[in-house]
Amino acid sequence: MSTITAPPDKSTTLHTAWGVKILGWVNVILGAVIFAGGLWLIFLGGSWYYGLAGLGLLVTGIMLNRYMIEAVWVYLLVWLGTLIWAWWEVGADWWAQVPRLVAPTLILILVLACIPALSRRTAKP
Amino acid sequence: MTKFIPIVTTSLLTGAILMGPVSVYAQQSDPAQPPVIQGTQGTSSQGSASQSAEPEGATTQPPTLGQTAQIENDSPPQTNPDQTQPPAGNGDQSRPEDPGSDQSAGQQAATDPTSQTPAAEGQFATASQPLMQVGADWPYWGGDAQATRFSPLSEITPENAAQLEQVFTYHNGDLPKGTAEGKYSPEVTPLKIGDDLVMCSAMNILISIDAATGEENWRFNPGVPNEAIPYGATCRGVSVYTNPEAAEDEACATRVIQGTLDAKLVAVDLASGAPCEDFGENGTVDMWQDIGERVPGWYAVTAPPAIVRGIVVSGAQVKDGQAEDAPSGVVRGYDAVTGDLAWAWDLAAPDQNRNGPPEGEVYTRGTPNMWTTAVADEDLGFVYLPLGNSSVDYYGSNRGEAENEYATSLVALDVTTGEEVWHFQTVRHDVWDYDLGSQATLLDWQGTPAILLPSKQGDIYILDRETGAPLTPVAELADLPKGEIEPGYISDTQPISEWHTLRKDPLQERDMWGFTPIDQLWCRIQFQRANYDGFFTPPSSERPWIQYPGYNGGSDWGSVAVDIERGVIIANYNDVPNYNRLVPRDEVDSQPIHKLGAGENAGANAEGAADPQEGAPYGISVNAGWRNDVTGVPCTRPPYGGIRAIDLETGETLWDRPIGTARRNGPFGIPSYLPFDIGTPNNGGSVVTAGGLVFIAAATDNLFRAIDIETGETVWSTVLPAGGQANPITYEVDGRQFVMVSAMGHHFMETPVGDEVIAWALPRE
Repeated sequence: MSTITAPPDKSTTLHTAWGVKILGWVNVILGAVIFAGGLWLIFLGGSWYYGLAGLGLLVTGIMLNRYMIEAVWVYLLVWLGTLIWAWWEVGADWWAQVPRLVAPTLILILVLACIPALSRRTAKP
Repeated sequence: MTKFIPIVTTSLLTGAILMGPVSVYAQQSDPAQPPVIQGTQGTSSQGSASQSAEPEGATTQPPTLGQTAQIENDSPPQTNPDQTQPPAGNGDQSRPEDPGSDQSAGQQAATDPTSQTPAAEGQFATASQPLMQVGADWPYWGGDAQATRFSPLSEITPENAAQLEQVFTYHNGDLPKGTAEGKYSPEVTPLKIGDDLVMCSAMNILISIDAATGEENWRFNPGVPNEAIPYGATCRGVSVYTNPEAAEDEACATRVIQGTLDAKLVAVDLASGAPCEDFGENGTVDMWQDIGERVPGWYAVTAPPAIVRGIVVSGAQVKDGQAEDAPSGVVRGYDAVTGDLAWAWDLAAPDQNRNGPPEGEVYTRGTPNMWTTAVADEDLGFVYLPLGNSSVDYYGSNRGEAENEYATSLVALDVTTGEEVWHFQTVRHDVWDYDLGSQATLLDWQGTPAILLPSKQGDIYILDRETGAPLTPVAELADLPKGEIEPGYISDTQPISEWHTLRKDPLQERDMWGFTPIDQLWCRIQFQRANYDGFFTPPSSERPWIQYPGYNGGSDWGSVAVDIERGVIIANYNDVPNYNRLVPRDEVDSQPIHKLGAGENAGANAEGAADPQEGAPYGISVNAGWRNDVTGVPCTRPPYGGIRAIDLETGETLWDRPIGTARRNGPFGIPSYLPFDIGTPNNGGSVVTAGGLVFIAAATDNLFRAIDIETGETVWSTVLPAGGQANPITYEVDGRQFVMVSAMGHHFMETPVGDEVIAWALPRE
């Protein structure tokens, strides 16, 4: 993964671009799965969280694929929503927080790591 | 197959004595030494006291058994003063650890047989016999005769427990071979008598070892074949009986008695391990007699027998879920000396079959059995049987009236007659496999001789021992859902304990779990798809149903421990649901055990995982612990097991905490070594000591630990080489307190198999 301090030579940019692309597709797939399952759960009368979060993740993925910096803001919104929802559901039960917070936070870190690459792309004429 | 192993648990996812006799034990326990008669002066003088009490007791005795005349020859009436047992109570001053003076009133009462020493002529079980005392010894599976699992030993305390060190490890050498692979769940708890520990192995090898060094004294292998393994190779323990009429140096004067997987009662001499020739045929009584077609693995004994007034009482485990036409759940009493049948209690034909079924018939088939450990009440001459459910657990419409009356009940039998005195039912029309698994505990409760009964639903009841009447409040759940399968059968009311329950609140969607949002989401979908109306949701077939608590408890066979000095109950429990579905007959592809070819045996499957329930319109599919089918991770959040201290006076919780760390579990089966208490499923009970400690293994983290009974904090723990799914014990040799547990693993709990019993003690300079 590239870092902010890395020189902007061509190969690094290429790697970063691929990194964003891969994360984009991962988010699209995860988002689609969670969105579909979430719709099913809503249909069964369960929580709306997964439908909404899945949709957010899907949108994040699509935007990452298009190198749109807005992807970061969308995902930040999803993550903050997740945090609030998770606290509302189980509070300080940390074992119960594992499935709610660990994976979304991991994705948050990866999305944030895309910022340099996305900034360069956005800055392009 | 690579499975995503859960963090949590690989598990689900899957003179004391009486007076003289103790010193006799001590003498006899060294086979190399000729027995020395010691301490018998006291015995004979007390014997006359006992005798004088007899007439009074005799008048209150129930009528004798029809069969007795025949057996009389083998078992003379106990009216000869020389043969009469001494009463317990005054204590033997020579005992190193005489708990008599500081025991509760209840224990005093229980050990004082003078008011209950009937010896009507021609009876099988007559006089109450002296009790062995817990302390230096651990003479009963449940510790003392009351099964409190409380020891008066106090050398090891919360302050010094951290210094505990291993003294010895004994390997019994009994590890799974061939078809037994994957079926071992030994659950062994030794007894400590005199200088020795006596125990069985998973395959019923009887063993005596030196209690201080772990050196083997003798072993006796009854040769149980692998095909006899029912659901698991289990022998929870043995019982010891001293024949009051035998001279101390006589062979088998004190004998070790076990029930085996191939349903035999085996008696050997405590001192030498030689089979008792006077007992049955060369020391063996065949419990398959009058049961019907002999199908190995269908009918097996896994629990130590209860011995009351010279009667050995045993039920058997009937492998669950096979067929309605299954071996009987009959509970039988045998003369502890001769092995002759004293009586049989066939709950569907108690009178007809009391002395065995008529020629050509068998005991009533498919009736609820007692697979767990009964507790003996020498004082009243009763034995308390925690009964399971009928053989077909999850469908009830074609059960008999008697089955409905007795299933999942605690039954008090009078061992002098084999007749029922009372019963207390904990589930009406049980279709959840809520067998009573815990041995009940005798205690004195606010002045009344009482019995404490924990259930798999987590309810704790305290009943009057003489009448079965509840002494603590019992409430009724009403208007329970009746479902669509058999609404006419499902009871719309159920009893619950208002005094104390280990059960948690009903599940909600937010209790669903996983490692990631995706498996958590999948579990939420399953939650919403299933039928679930809380506790006692009836079975369903079109959609699965959630059973919570699942059949693993609540409290299971490890039962609870009761600190009678502090007035504290220590209960470890499971907190896991099952995800079940009745499978329509035409979809059932498993075969009942009696139709399987040789060698085929579904013993390694989790109980109920795919059982045919032949004779019922449905088979049963149980996802025990409700694990995600894809990842193997539990669908509900931790903790999956806890341990709790309960005030015996009020029923209030003193402390409650998860038991079991995450150290052994982690993603992809990699141990996480996380020392955090996550609360794992657990199997096996605890010991409490006057020193203020609770000793318990049980959890799937393979730790053995000492917990401060006042605070609930772990003050010492050690890693076992295999799963510690067994009840620990504590005992004393030469003034040094030992604690011991077996590390032998458990297939269903998914802990590693071993063959060790391990002893710890404080260091000696």
